Amino acid sequence: MNRTILVCCGTGCLANGSKGVADEFQRLIDQRGTDARVKCYVKRTGCNGFCENGPIVKVMPDDIIYYKVREKDVAEILDKTVEKGETVDRLLYRDDQGRPVKHQHENPFYAPQHKTALRNIGAIDPTRVEDYIAAGGYEALKKALAMTPAEIIEQVKRSGLRGRGGAGFPTWRKWQTAAEQEATPKYVACNGDEGDPGAFMDRSVLEGDPHTVLEGLAICALAIGAEEGFLYIRDEYGLAVRNVTTAIADAERHGILGDDVLGSGRRLKLSVVRGGGAFVCGEETALIASIEGSCGEPRPRPPFPAVKGLFGQPTVLNNVETLANIPVILKDGGDAFAAVGTEGSKGTKVFALVGKVKRTGLVEIPMGATLRHLIYDIGGGIQNDRPFKAVQTGGPSGGCIPAHMLDLPVDFDTLKSHGAMMGSGGMIVMDDRSCMVEVARYYINFLAEESCGKCTPCREGLRKMLEILTDICEGRGQEGDIQLLEQLGHTLQDSCLCALGKTAPNPVLTTIQYFRDEYEAHIREHRCPAGVCVKLTAFRIDADRCRGCTACARACPTGAITGAVKQPHVIDSSKCISCGSCREACRFDAVETEGRDAV
Amino acid sequence: MQIDMDEVLEILHRYPREKRHSLAIMQDLQHHFNYIPREGMEALAEYLECPLSSLYSMATFYRALSLKPKGKHIIKLCDGTACHIRGSVNLAGGIGRLLGIGAGETSADGLFSLELVNCLGSCALAPVMVVDDTYYGKVTLEKLPEILNKYREEAAG
Amino acid sequence: MTITIDGKRCTCEKGEKLLAVARRNWIPIPTLCHHESLPGQASCRVCLVEVVQQGRSSVVASCVYPVEDGIEVYTNSDRVRAERGMVLALLRKRAPDSQLIADMCRLYDAPDLDRVKVSVPGKCILCGLCVRACTELSVGAISTVNRGVTKEIATPYHEPSAVCVGCGSCASVCPTGAIEIVETADTRTIWDKTFRLVRCARCGEPIGTEEELAHAARKGGTEPDTLCERCRRRSMTDVLAATYGDRE
Repeated sequence: MNRTILVCCGTGCLANGSKGVADEFQRLIDQRGTDARVKCYVKRTGCNGFCENGPIVKVMPDDIIYYKVREKDVAEILDKTVEKGETVDRLLYRDDQGRPVKHQHENPFYAPQHKTALRNIGAIDPTRVEDYIAAGGYEALKKALAMTPAEIIEQVKRSGLRGRGGAGFPTWRKWQTAAEQEATPKYVACNGDEGDPGAFMDRSVLEGDPHTVLEGLAICALAIGAEEGFLYIRDEYGLAVRNVTTAIADAERHGILGDDVLGSGRRLKLSVVRGGGAFVCGEETALIASIEGSCGEPRPRPPFPAVKGLFGQPTVLNNVETLANIPVILKDGGDAFAAVGTEGSKGTKVFALVGKVKRTGLVEIPMGATLRHLIYDIGGGIQNDRPFKAVQTGGPSGGCIPAHMLDLPVDFDTLKSHGAMMGSGGMIVMDDRSCMVEVARYYINFLAEESCGKCTPCREGLRKMLEILTDICEGRGQEGDIQLLEQLGHTLQDSCLCALGKTAPNPVLTTIQYFRDEYEAHIREHRCPAGVCVKLTAFRIDADRCRGCTACARACPTGAITGAVKQPHVIDSSKCISCGSCREACRFDAVETEGRDAV
Repeated sequence: MQIDMDEVLEILHRYPREKRHSLAIMQDLQHHFNYIPREGMEALAEYLECPLSSLYSMATFYRALSLKPKGKHIIKLCDGTACHIRGSVNLAGGIGRLLGIGAGETSADGLFSLELVNCLGSCALAPVMVVDDTYYGKVTLEKLPEILNKYREEAAG
Repeated sequence: MTITIDGKRCTCEKGEKLLAVARRNWIPIPTLCHHESLPGQASCRVCLVEVVQQGRSSVVASCVYPVEDGIEVYTNSDRVRAERGMVLALLRKRAPDSQLIADMCRLYDAPDLDRVKVSVPGKCILCGLCVRACTELSVGAISTVNRGVTKEIATPYHEPSAVCVGCGSCASVCPTGAIEIVETADTRTIWDKTFRLVRCARCGEPIGTEEELAHAARKGGTEPDTLCERCRRRSMTDVLAATYGDRE
């Protein structure tokens, strides 16, 4: 039997050393050469999404999946699994009950997932167009070439697909508007400027399955009548830029893109534009300005880009994940796609489940699943079994959803009606040691730096909100601050020029709405209930609970903790910087926080 | 530092003389020199026949571009949300204590520059630090000296 | 088509901006960054109004909002007053030395915002009109620098510009008088650069900087002016008189 070894080479696994593992496989296979009874090859795939447990190695067709594989494990995998089809038990994942899990589909992290946008990732080599074609790639494009633009748009309309990048605008409407314009040339563009902290699904798709994005973009170009397109990708995503660039060149060489798309006589020229490092460029008019070679400052809409976009011409801009769904819709039909999901939100959504959750990674599930399902069933619950406090959805434009709303179904409209946002699908889980005021301050600080600074309320309003929030976190909060934050927030929502500013207050307004008592504790009692705000928190060790394991003393960056082995330890408050490393390190819950007099 | 204008011109001529390529050219200059030298900015303005002010505006707008020379090794400390709540700020403090630099600064020996960057999309490994192109996941204050010393020893020979 | 603004019916055409329609109908809407020759800036957000369309209400910037048939517009609703007041209050923290902003704050009941600090001293509200004027009408000597809360207007490297011609277009469009021009008998200083002033060959009035006149001449393909506007017209009359005068 021939076997294929799939080594995950997404950024996460690479960081964990997967390149060395893949090289070692290749080296040993070459060494064994033709003597080996089993023919096998190594394939370097894109991100499997379960990055925390990388490097991930899959052996096919046995479908045995190993985690945290090191170079020294390679020989054993070859001897046992590749040669004999046996498993190496110690490299298997352990489920919540501690049982070893042999197949990917039995793993509690993957089992409930429904992969559409991520369908090929982890199974194909993203740098080989042949792999994509073998997996049914570019068949949708072939199909689309035999259809009229109206027929293509009709399928997208039936699918109910809404933009996966943020606001959830119906994709077909953008296409329809651009298709109706008489002005030529028209352009298509892919928004790969994924900037939401905590979200990395676009990176994963661009790295792991670039051709699906190209195919989606090509179908869009057919529907609106464009012959040129751009993929705007964050420069920080080096591997994504390389893989997409390779994919374009390969597709052109195979006659899939270029001057004669699949022999149809149609022309489509795609190119990569590297982002300059500005979160605001995720906003479509700012992204257009950036491709044109200026500062990424948004401009007023209307006119919308579908009417007047890139270089003043009709332009459709779609997000990476949106485009990854298009080939599936064309191939299987819009109705099939719409069979999954909820009334207003069709299909699946990829979430980046991160933060203080046991299993972190990329998760694709049907729209409408509950937060509880996502966090507890797939994510395995909160790290160290601490209490769940909130989940932040939608990045800086989103909001914080508290524990009593865990049974909310996750879709565009439900999240929005609760002050949060789907955004690009970041899900940052927080426990009782996350301070909600500090989280709000963090986002406002992020946005104040990332605002383009063009309009008054965003530039000046965020500056003032940051000032107030910093005061609160440092014990200088005043009565009336909460109301003033709310007032400023409403002004930003109403009066900012672009979506960045209009949604910027969401993290503040939702944390005030759901965690008002935490704000009040900071302001009135100068106390940070979560023990995070440095100026309001002092740490001490409970002598009764301390076992003298020395873990805290080793973790302390300033040497403030002393104590003999098996004796209670003590924190020297004059050296303590309140970083909380000791509390994280302690396995006996002996490190406690208490208020401290603020400046 | 003396800037080799032939190198600047080689980078400029990779692209047609259109304003839309200004960002790409500046990124290439940045990659090559570790910053954008003034000579490069002025040559680019001439090449694209556009005001220097418009390029200066972009160079100060985009975070990927820098007008000041940077250290030999660039430490990108991720301060995305996942890293933030897993303690990236403490790491920034730790690096500060080890190297005597804050975010945006370069160490006195010119070896390191520290940048506090937005989400690097490796949240599952939070907190994440990238030195040049090497990713370090689940970094702790304990691990920091070991990581940084590697680069110091390398420089020492 | 017809819209109503504060209850008044106004006729207008597709594509017209709401602010223009209001002004034509003598309905005042305050603005700062709006300039007839440089439309569409939309950065100061002082011209906010409330628009109700099919029962849905939203706040928009009237200077760039294209009118649609049947909308109802309110220029002074509670919501408009609250948001406009807050925008002005924020501008006062940004430009504490501007008398105009202080006056507008008083006129439109802006909250005092004493709780927070002054952001930056000076008069500049960063509306960007000066950059537009310099780029579109002159040489592109200034631009916005940085972004977000650290944004400012400056010349490259904060040095006297190599290309500035000292025309003062930037200062003339500035709504708050934030750009300083210092003139002596024969010099003009702006953006830290000093220019020699040229005087009218006839009457001696200053007519501009040497660089400004040369720039205008290059653009127009003519010789630099030596006369002021008035004397140029008078000299035209003299020529005409000399040519045709005796036929009178």
